[in-house]
Amino acid sequence: MSPRLKRLFVAIIVIQVVFLLGLVGYREAILINGKTAVLQTVPVDPRDLFKGEYVTLRYEISTLGQNVNNPNGKSYRLHGNFNEGDSAYVTLTTVGSSNPYSTAVQAGEPQEEADLFIKGRVTSSKDGTITIEYGIEQYFVPEGRGLEIEHADDVKVRVKINRSGTAAIEALIVDGEVWRP
Amino acid sequence: MTEETQNNDFDQIAGTNTQQSDPEVTPTPTPVASERQNWLKTRVEKWRESGIISGDQSDAILNYEAAPEEPFRLGLRFNRLIVVLATLGAILIGAGIISFVAANWQGIPSITKLALLIGAQIATYGVAYQLKFVRGYPRIGGAIMFTGAAWFGANVFLVAQSYHLPTDSPDLLIWWFLGILPLAYIVRSNAITVMAVGIFIVGLAWKAGTWADDSENFLPVFGILLLSAAVIYAIGMLHLVREKIKFHAGPYLASGALLAIGVTYILTFEEIFHELGRDFYNLQSVSGSQIVLTSIVTIIAAVALGMTYRLSSRINRNSAPRFAETAVVVLVVVLGWVLVTLPFNSTGFYVVAFNLLLVLLIFGTIALGILNKREPLVNIGIIFFVIDLATRYIELTVDMLDTSLAFIVGGLLLLGVGYGMERARRKLLTQFGLRGTSHES
Repeated sequence: MSPRLKRLFVAIIVIQVVFLLGLVGYREAILINGKTAVLQTVPVDPRDLFKGEYVTLRYEISTLGQNVNNPNGKSYRLHGNFNEGDSAYVTLTTVGSSNPYSTAVQAGEPQEEADLFIKGRVTSSKDGTITIEYGIEQYFVPEGRGLEIEHADDVKVRVKINRSGTAAIEALIVDGEVWRP
Repeated sequence: MTEETQNNDFDQIAGTNTQQSDPEVTPTPTPVASERQNWLKTRVEKWRESGIISGDQSDAILNYEAAPEEPFRLGLRFNRLIVVLATLGAILIGAGIISFVAANWQGIPSITKLALLIGAQIATYGVAYQLKFVRGYPRIGGAIMFTGAAWFGANVFLVAQSYHLPTDSPDLLIWWFLGILPLAYIVRSNAITVMAVGIFIVGLAWKAGTWADDSENFLPVFGILLLSAAVIYAIGMLHLVREKIKFHAGPYLASGALLAIGVTYILTFEEIFHELGRDFYNLQSVSGSQIVLTSIVTIIAAVALGMTYRLSSRINRNSAPRFAETAVVVLVVVLGWVLVTLPFNSTGFYVVAFNLLLVLLIFGTIALGILNKREPLVNIGIIFFVIDLATRYIELTVDMLDTSLAFIVGGLLLLGVGYGMERARRKLLTQFGLRGTSHES
């Protein structure tokens, strides 16, 4: 191998490692610096994956629209039309806020008055109802422990959200207590 | 160690080497082999007379070429066994470490598990480098290098898992692909090229498939796959006219041809259009992202073809087969767009068009394989010829003949066709010098 190729070989390994560290650093930065929000989930579904087990999380804010009956009576107003693949920003309240209701779903980034918002991608849009994925729909658990979460009465997810609306899961709250894996 | 030695058996196992240097195909003495030796003798004599090589060198070359083939061939088979064992060993060690980390995921501090995974990846590359380029074990080194590339992918998924990122996302595959493709070129490994191209195809198909999640129309996904096949093949053509990267052309050409023929075969069934394409003549249903992705893939294909032409004309390599090859790639691109936009309100057009395309691709692949001495292309063409023939037979006879009779006649026909194809394949490969006439061909 020529010295030039040797340098390139080392460079590509460095790039691979930097990519992995970058992925870790980005998620850690959200967890450390992000604002906290607690999201209500609706029934979860344990799945086996070849390298472990995870539960699929569907949030109250996963399906939004005029025809969606929200169990807690919260209202979500869709501002504008959404197509598949579009970004959507859902305004949220921070923990402890007096107003527990999410209010608006819009295509553009909310203005500064929005206390906290989460960014997702519209995966389907039909008859005024949209489904959004936020990149926090999977929670990996030790093997055999997925059913504990499935059988719980109430599951919430504590997330950290950065300034641009990207969310990272911090913890699962199962029946009012932080779930320890 | 020179770069030539890097064209090792491990890469040949991937079945994609375009070089005609696979010594295994040289048979025990046959008319073809002896003709070749006579030719070599004449040439070597001329080289000696013109002073290019010395008398000793000419003797050495002739002695080397006249050596019995059997031990040489056995040696190669042994080399392949080494590669298989080394790859299996490396994969087992890797799988052991990954499953240990995955099973004890929650018990290991995050910094430790990250250090463990990344450290193991770097160590794998280090060992592979030492063996392949320093210690003179190219086969086992190549196998471990391949494992290192696989390890990078495993690490991408494990890091995503530890932060609860969706692992059922094609994006991770695209990152994996981008991480290992340059490595394939740097260490001249066709096995890693095959891995990268395979990951790219799966990632792109997955990405295109996400469009169809909530739609009744899957046809644009097939359209994108056809366009991808054209791009991959066009990139292979570009490799062929660049001396430095010619070594990597095989995986692109074989994958492109296989993907194009495979997708076209699926599209020859009328039911596909009834079941999946209910949005004919409805351009409104084509999303912006579909058009953007289709356009990007088309532009890449056009650039690859354009560069191939420019470089070919510089070295005077444009020829009738190359024009025909380019025309077929362009036709595949056009039909890919037809599938994405669905401009005709009738299934008839699509079924006829894709049946014709399949015939063209099958015979075109066989013809190009023969003309350009690319054995994998000949094999792909012949395999799909038999599959298509069997399919059409079943379609024709299923309503016409009694079931048992149809099976018996069909079975006999298949055996006959199989025998005929095997004979034809041997004859073709022998004619263009890839194989001898021995029974092993």
